[in-house]
Amino acid sequence: MNLMPSSSTRPVEKLSVRGLNFYYGQTLALKNINLPLYEQQVTAFIGPSGCGKSTLLRVLNRMYDLYPNQRADGEVIFDGVNLLSPKQDVNLLRSRIGMVFQKPTPFPMTIYENIAFGVRLYERLLKHDLDERVEQSLRRAALWTEVKDKMHTSGLSLSGGQQQRLCIARTVAIKPDVILFDEPCSALDPISTARIEELIDELKQEYTIAIVTHNMQQAARVSQKTAFMYLGELIEFDDTAKIFTSPQAKQTQDYITGRFG
Amino acid sequence: MTEHTVKSYEEELALLDKKIAQMGGLAEQLLGKSLEALERRDPKLAEEVVTADRSIDNLEREIEEQVISMVARRQPMADDLRHIMGALRITTDLERIGDLAKNMAKRSLAIADESHPKPLMSGIRHMVELALHQLKEVLDAYAERDADKALAVWRNDAQIDAMYNSLFRELLTYMMEDPRNIGISTHLLFGAKNIERVGDHTTNIAETVHFLVRGFNITDDRPKDDQTSSTLISGT
Repeated sequence: MNLMPSSSTRPVEKLSVRGLNFYYGQTLALKNINLPLYEQQVTAFIGPSGCGKSTLLRVLNRMYDLYPNQRADGEVIFDGVNLLSPKQDVNLLRSRIGMVFQKPTPFPMTIYENIAFGVRLYERLLKHDLDERVEQSLRRAALWTEVKDKMHTSGLSLSGGQQQRLCIARTVAIKPDVILFDEPCSALDPISTARIEELIDELKQEYTIAIVTHNMQQAARVSQKTAFMYLGELIEFDDTAKIFTSPQAKQTQDYITGRFG
Repeated sequence: MTEHTVKSYEEELALLDKKIAQMGGLAEQLLGKSLEALERRDPKLAEEVVTADRSIDNLEREIEEQVISMVARRQPMADDLRHIMGALRITTDLERIGDLAKNMAKRSLAIADESHPKPLMSGIRHMVELALHQLKEVLDAYAERDADKALAVWRNDAQIDAMYNSLFRELLTYMMEDPRNIGISTHLLFGAKNIERVGDHTTNIAETVHFLVRGFNITDDRPKDDQTSSTLISGT
């Protein structure tokens, strides 16, 4: 049985992680990770705390560059280029690989500016075009109808779920290729969670999406591929439907069924 | 197998297995008794079978309710999911086996006054014995999570089918010999068909057990040996 809508074309590998090792100082946090991320698909990373799933996500847009003593070796091929290369322009990279964090992080600015700010960094748009981009992004993030009459109030005045959608709108606004979600719903109520999940489902039509989640049911609901990680290793990577009905590795089985010691 | 961190989950799964075992035991008993009722033409025993079938129906309902509740509350995954959905499918097959046994027992009332053709009765007895053996094996396979045993049961069903085929021919011949035999022969034929169906439900269970243990379906084609749907005895 295949619940996933089948696309006639084979999925395109947008990002390929190859032989990736990651170090926090002397500690090896990721061990020889090999993994594809496919276009128009959601890939979920699951695993117990400390397994390296968030670390892996942070490697994908070089977030670790902000910290001394953290380094990665191996390759992450993105559109034919190794993005771990020192020559890679990190700012440009982050405009193409966006990230949404666990806690909503709106800028202390108006709703409008929250979105326009990032766009201005990369593009010069006429006022009219910028307005349109802001509206479009808010619509994409299913937030427009809720905020269209208060665009010039602070982004911080929104509810948690709305703030998270604002952050998604902000990410979408600069037209990235890949969106990384780091536990985007863990601070949200079930209704807001459902909205974000619906959004992820829509966004996947246009983007390559990776999501780290502690909520196994969420991984099962939103993703097409699932990677199970444990102690810095990728234990199993397969179709989500397969991982949650008949995983191959015993560790995967024990984890997703709640048997971990 | 490592235990679940949540103890009550573990207990619920164990309870599910206990109920399946209980239901399986009842189905075995019923099948045995329905044969006796038919052989001895014992209306009282037939009545017992009908009553016992109600306990099977009740167990089926209980298991169904438990499964629905567990799916809603536990959101089972992987082998737990296969275990719970497997239990739901097995319970349906066991309930059907109970019904078939009941139906066979009831026929003993209809043929109570007829004379019994000994050799035909022994054919039916053999079929029931084999069906009972298969049922016992598959229930063991479930309890022990033994996919190979389930596979053996699945393959073995061909024997029941073969016995049914030969019994079918014998009964047709018997009817042709003397039209007065038609009444009892028809009842016995339906009885034999019931047992053949019991065998089919048993193989269903075997398939479920295999999937439950291994996570994939049995792939090769099961030898299908029930040819009665295309059998006619030409009037030689």
